[in-house]
Parts: sequence; C-alpha cells; structure tokens
Amino acid sequence: MSPLNLQIRTFKRFLHRVHKGRSLVELNLLMMLMADTFSKPAGGSQPGSGEPQGSGWFRTFTIAAYKPYFDVDTSDIIDRLKESLFPFRGTFTEKTATNPDLYGPFWICTTLIFVAASIGTFVTYIAHKLKKKEWDYDINLVTWSAGVFYGYVTVVPLILYVILKYFSAPSGLVQLFCLYGYSLFVFIPALCLSVVPLEIFRWVIAGVAGFMSATFVALNLKAHINSAGERWFLIVTGIFLLQLALAVVLKLYLFTVTV
Amino acid sequence: MALRDWDLWGPFFFIVFLGLTLSWSASVKKSEVFAVAFALLAAGAVILTLNVLLLGGHIVFFQSLSLLGYCLFPLDVGALICMMENNVILKMIVVCVTLAWSSWAAYPFMSSAVNLSRKALALYPVFLMYVSVGFLTIAID
Repeated sequence: MSPLNLQIRTFKRFLHRVHKGRSLVELNLLMMLMADTFSKPAGGSQPGSGEPQGSGWFRTFTIAAYKPYFDVDTSDIIDRLKESLFPFRGTFTEKTATNPDLYGPFWICTTLIFVAASIGTFVTYIAHKLKKKEWDYDINLVTWSAGVFYGYVTVVPLILYVILKYFSAPSGLVQLFCLYGYSLFVFIPALCLSVVPLEIFRWVIAGVAGFMSATFVALNLKAHINSAGERWFLIVTGIFLLQLALAVVLKLYLFTVTV
Repeated sequence: MALRDWDLWGPFFFIVFLGLTLSWSASVKKSEVFAVAFALLAAGAVILTLNVLLLGGHIVFFQSLSLLGYCLFPLDVGALICMMENNVILKMIVVCVTLAWSSWAAYPFMSSAVNLSRKALALYPVFLMYVSVGFLTIAID
C-alpha cells in the first residue's frame, strides 16, 4: 500500500477514535503533521540539510522559504500548461503532487490580467470607433482584473483547504494554488478569441472555456477527495459552479459594451 | 564592469518620467494613470528580480533593479514621441521599435543570471512587463 494511502487510513482510524471521545489535542497534532507531509515535496524535508533555518515566524519573509516551490524548468512548465488544456485526463494532481510550483499560477494570473485589460480596452475602442464616438482609456480595467484574478486564485484555494481539512481529506495548500493557477490558463486563448464582435460567439467561447476550466479543477479534485466520504460530490459540484461563475463574470464585465 | 556600480537614481528618474509622460498624454484620470504606471514599473522591477532569485539565479538584488530601470530609457523616448503624435499606426510602430530595443538591452543580463534550462522562465516576465508598458503607451490618448 502506498505511503499516502497508509497515512490516510491511519488518519481515518484516529479520527474514528477521537470521535469516540478521545483527546482533541492529539487530533490537532496529527492534523498538523499530516498537513506538513502533504504540503512539501517528499524528499525535501530532511533535518540538517545544511541551510540555517532561522526563527519560526519570519522565515515566511525569506526567499529561501519559497525556493522549493520554484524548482521547475521550462519544459516542466510547458508540460503542465499542456496538461491543463486537457481537462478530462485528471492526472494533473498526480504529476504535481511531489513538486507543486508557484511560478505557473503567479505568472498565468499576471498574464491574464494584462490580456484581460488589453482585450477589454481593445473591444471598447473598436466599438466606439465603429460608431464614431468619443473614447477614453479606462484604467479601472487593469485594477479591477488584477483584483479579480489574484483574489480568486488566493482566496478560493484557501477556503477549499479549510473545507477539505474539516472533511478529513487534507490536501496541501500549495497543490491547491497550483491547481487553480493552471486552471486559469485556458482563459488566455479564450479572451484572445473573444475579440470577434459576435455576441453569440463570445458567449460560446466563454461557456466552453468556463466548462473546460471547471472540469479540470473538478476532475482533478475528485480523484483526490474520493476518500472523504459522503460530501465529496457537493464539494466538487460547488467548485465546478464557482469556476463557471468566474467565466460568466469575466464575459459580462469585459465584453459588455455600452456605446 | 559598469554594472557593478549600481545606483537607483537613474531608474527612479526614468520611472517617474515615464509615469509623468503617460499622465500628460491621458485626457482623463491623469492621476490614476500615473499611479498605475508608477506602481506597475516599480513593483514590476522588484517582482522580476525576486523571480530570478527564486528560480535559483545568481544576481545581486539592487544591481538587477538598477539594470531594469535603466533599460526603460527607450520606452521613455517612445512615450515622449507618442505624447506628441496622434496617429495610432505610427504609435504602434514607435512602441514596437522601442520595446524591441528595451528587451534587447535587458536580455543578456537576465539570461546569464539563471540556469540554461530556465532561461525562458526568467525572460518571459521581463517581456511581459515591457509589453504591458508599451500597451499603456499606445492606449492612452
């Protein structure tokens, strides 16, 4: 039996015992241990690895603390990007379980912000010029899209992490960030295609991209939390709908032009 | 060897100048344009440097900030020309040329700082930042 399954089994047995009224402190301790095992790559957490670790709380402000999450080559990133375009495979979480990266999510979000702002601007520009009206550059597009994308990729995985912990199917936080970050990649070509001024075409593109992105997140999460018990279907459906809602919000805000 | 003598006055001047030029070219919301341009460039330089450091590259933090700031000079010139011109096609050509110049200037430093297998990962964000500044220059009229 793989170590992962063994840990899940042990954790479930412990949870069962705690449920029968044993110590809550032990449960907390075990949950923290499990979280650590899931968050970091398996081979990277050896003690005495030669680097001074520093005090507890301000390690989060050093660069060295985040280096393990950027340990990827160009070919790895390209592989993961291609993987995110095929939502029905469901193998993304396995491939990134030991080496989740934060490079992909961060730069995909940043590129999306730029693409969204520029395409949104271009669309309103064309619409105004076609009707020979005055047009001003709306700088709020940049700030708004930055808020939406960074906020979505930061807040939703955090909430999901807490929910999954509560339902005893813990997933590493970085793996969730990674999953959500790469799921947004399909919106980049979708936004580029949405320049075409046909309303029906734009809705179709938004629908297809939203569906692909949502299926990607849902299928990859489902493979992981099948062991969580009765509630997995609810969680997976919730996530699916949330991603679809993001696609709809994008389409409505960026491409609704009132001239 | 001139790279070793880094300073931040040059980059500061170029960033402020670019922000001012874009702000002057804008017909509405001038202060917001300046704020966004300044924040984008300043934060962008810091984030790009952190990106290289996190990918395991070997650069000195302030040296990199200094270089990225100085490489903004062609974009400054481009923004100045675009402020005085109104033709969109001409603006696009000017921005493309100055963008290529800026990227060509920043390329050797950035690519030599990281591992060969991660070169594209370090260079893409630089390109992204310059393209977004170029886009702002064209769009603001």
